[in-house]
Amino acid sequence: MMLLTIQSWPKAILHIDADAFFASCEQAVNPQLKGKPVTTGRERGIVAAASYEAKARGVKRGMRTFEVKRICPDAIILPSDYETYSLFSVRMFEVLRRFSPDVEEYSIDEAFADLTGLRQVYHGSYESIAGKIQDTVKKELGINVSIGISLSKVLAKIGSKHKKPGGLVLIPGRDIHFYLNGLSMGDVWGIGPNTAAYLNKLGINTALEFARKDEGFIQRHLHKPHLEIWHELNGRSIYPVVSGSKSSYQSISKARTFTPASNDEIFVYAQLSKNLENACIKARRHKLAAIRLIIFLRGQDFRNHAVEIRLSSPTSYPVDMFSALRDGFYHIYRHDALYRQTGVVLAGLVAEDRIQMTLFDDPVRIEKMSKIYCAVDAISGKFGKHAIQHASSLPAKLQAQHEGERGDVPRRKTELFKGENTRQRVGLPVLNIKI
Amino acid sequence: MVMRSLDINKLNIRIRDIARFYYEKGRMPTFSEIGDLTGLKSKSTVSKLINSLRKLDVLDKDKTGRLIPKSICYPVKILGTVEAGFPIPAEEELADTISLDKLLIQNPTATFMLKVSGDSMSDAGILPGDMVIVDRGQAPRNNDIVIAEVDGQWTMKYLKKRGDSITLMPANQKYKPIKPKNELNIAGVVTAVIRKYR
Repeated sequence: MMLLTIQSWPKAILHIDADAFFASCEQAVNPQLKGKPVTTGRERGIVAAASYEAKARGVKRGMRTFEVKRICPDAIILPSDYETYSLFSVRMFEVLRRFSPDVEEYSIDEAFADLTGLRQVYHGSYESIAGKIQDTVKKELGINVSIGISLSKVLAKIGSKHKKPGGLVLIPGRDIHFYLNGLSMGDVWGIGPNTAAYLNKLGINTALEFARKDEGFIQRHLHKPHLEIWHELNGRSIYPVVSGSKSSYQSISKARTFTPASNDEIFVYAQLSKNLENACIKARRHKLAAIRLIIFLRGQDFRNHAVEIRLSSPTSYPVDMFSALRDGFYHIYRHDALYRQTGVVLAGLVAEDRIQMTLFDDPVRIEKMSKIYCAVDAISGKFGKHAIQHASSLPAKLQAQHEGERGDVPRRKTELFKGENTRQRVGLPVLNIKI
Repeated sequence: MVMRSLDINKLNIRIRDIARFYYEKGRMPTFSEIGDLTGLKSKSTVSKLINSLRKLDVLDKDKTGRLIPKSICYPVKILGTVEAGFPIPAEEELADTISLDKLLIQNPTATFMLKVSGDSMSDAGILPGDMVIVDRGQAPRNNDIVIAEVDGQWTMKYLKKRGDSITLMPANQKYKPIKPKNELNIAGVVTAVIRKYR
């Protein structure tokens, strides 16, 4: 076969992907779960993550809990413990940073790292560096990760996906075509189902066929992002590894599921109000303000009803958005429907200090609000989130989020140490071993 | 001379402001946030301040240029008191203190907690309800207290090595020493025990 490039390692980009991450964290803190089918997401009524033992029995992500019980009666179905998963996630990134300063935290269980030039430092091949990373994560965190290393991010992702779990796949320049041959376009990072279908119509089915097209063809039929992917597949790195913690956001979204589904207007609105408060807390933490507010309600039938509202000026204070929230809510709310989830999205984010005041703004009021929310955030910092909140969110706090068995909260939130409370706990994962 | 003590005073206030930020937010401020905290308008004065604080070992920069706390993160003050109004270079005293976190945790990425339920280590001062700090990153040595899986059972015991033979020793007469028959899997070393009374 014709080579795509002759250079083996002009660049070395690593992609790390934790295997069945949430389920693996649960197995790491509770060794009794090792080797057993485990799923998380019990409180949502669906599978958020499934251990490889559960996957082997046919359990898939997104499957409903009752289906899991049918096909795998001995499955251990756990409520999500996002606090523990986050601690593991941060630790995985920290381990990576020991090997390279250029680490991009891509999602809770995925990261990129630029290893270019590190072979001399570690006196070994890229493969041996990746092996050390895998071993360190396994030893210190107790979870398995898959790693791909190649010349670009898109290729590194193909590598990490190639042999899960526990895979370590290097794709040097002269081997790229082996890995792209037979890989369907839909499996390439950044190519959605629509683009894949369109490419099929152009006679392109595999990533190799796509990579072999000339630049003119790509430019004639496709757009800039696809041209970038085309370069990346040919081993020319376009997407840089952006190091640092994730701090820039396009939008901030907060959604909460509750059971049983409800048609209680005040309760459903309270859920929405609480989401708005949460989203605003996050926006303020990152010193951002939103100009657009998107509201959605998800019905019992899993259908979404959404509305987008433009705010009069960018803000991160719920009090400025409540009238828009109320209007939007009544625009989509139906008394005869049952709802199971609500959510808000803050979009059109701008840096807080770059907000232009308009002629109609009341500077005294703005200053006052800024002081009030500073105080709210300070109180939350001291006593935990939602120590103080808007009254409209109160019904969401008073009623349990989930009824019955799905109301289970993770063990970490109930088995507290002296000095911990339901909101604030020590930032270390707790082993669930009876000794 | 007056000028000099004024400078130190100012520096102390700035260190205190940065330290307060660190305690409140749980992270070090960025360069621009330091500018806001201290009222320093230009980037170069902020970077000058940071350089002098680095020399004093108050903080440092990592490879990516982000600030990391050094003596600024040590809240437990062991040394003497400060006389009011008299400028004292606090950083010299603070440089010799460490936080409880640092005292208890050697490998932050490999450290877990575990609540004790049994009394088999009571003579070692570990009681039911205590919190033990477990380090997965350290190699277990003779006489360490370890969390181990022995023939399918989890336990916390002293690790006693003699030549090739390994015994897990309880610290309570009610329990017998354990000799692993088939399998021994050491999950971590107990590096500290914490008991909180109120």
